[in-house]
Amino acid sequence: MSGIQLLLLTGVAFIGLFFFTRLKKRTLDILLLALMVGCAGMFVIWPDITNKIATRLGVGRGADLVFYVSILLFWFVILKLYARIRRLEQLLTQIVREDALNKAATPVTKQEAP
Amino acid sequence: MYEYRIVIVDDGSIIPVNTFLVGLPVYCLRHRVNLGQGAALETGFQYAFKCGADIVVTFDGDGQHVAEDVRTIVKPLMDGEVEVVLGSRFLEDGVSEVPVVRKMVLRIGRLVNFALGGGLLSDAHNGLRAVSREALEKISITENRMAHASEILFEIKRHRLSYREVPVTVNYTDYSRQKGQSGVDGIKILFDLVLHKLFR
Repeated sequence: MSGIQLLLLTGVAFIGLFFFTRLKKRTLDILLLALMVGCAGMFVIWPDITNKIATRLGVGRGADLVFYVSILLFWFVILKLYARIRRLEQLLTQIVREDALNKAATPVTKQEAP
Repeated sequence: MYEYRIVIVDDGSIIPVNTFLVGLPVYCLRHRVNLGQGAALETGFQYAFKCGADIVVTFDGDGQHVAEDVRTIVKPLMDGEVEVVLGSRFLEDGVSEVPVVRKMVLRIGRLVNFALGGGLLSDAHNGLRAVSREALEKISITENRMAHASEILFEIKRHRLSYREVPVTVNYTDYSRQKGQSGVDGIKILFDLVLHKLFR
């Protein structure tokens, strides 16, 4: 086992453990997590698998395939995060606006337009 | 004879604006945190609607507008000709001395607005507008920051409101230049607009 494999495996193990301790026994989530951790571990231990898949898909190296797929994934995650930020912002706006409208200071004035 | 009220929206200023308004016949609404101009306008709109306003005029607080223009901008609404009146600094040549960069940004902006489904206007982003009560009821601004100007155009189209552009003066003082939009802000607005179209 090479140094990088050790490093990546430890990383995967820690991330897996981190999420595992946070999941509250929701079977589907745990299964999904196990699947992802399993895949990650498998690809790290036997990198040749990714190479085989990559050549099938017309990509030269397994590492390149992983790179392309992660770019796509990151785009997806960023968009999801943006959507969530916008929802939060709308909620904040609503609360702040309600507060502003409730506290509107009202000087009594009646003036005639010019 | 018409009755009018001045409503100021303080968008989370560090020094609360109402400390400067003591004894003045104005209404002040304060956002507790800074949300952006679009949010401030919508708050003002909702307040005006609640107060039973027949016409609402938006007026930027940085000194770029001229109070006399309110009369011209309100007139088509009072005559019942259109439902929304938008100010434009480009309708009459020589009224406003617009800096070259600003002019370019606004030129591109009007095309972007048109491409994304707003009307083709002469001015992309003018803070002086007048809105009738009927239009006020329909228009709602969800873009908190500067993209609201384009969103208002989308809303006008969506609800099939009639509108007209009216020439107004925009003063470029040192202060208003400092507060105004630059090319970089234009890109930020474009980004907000793309997100607006994506998530709606």
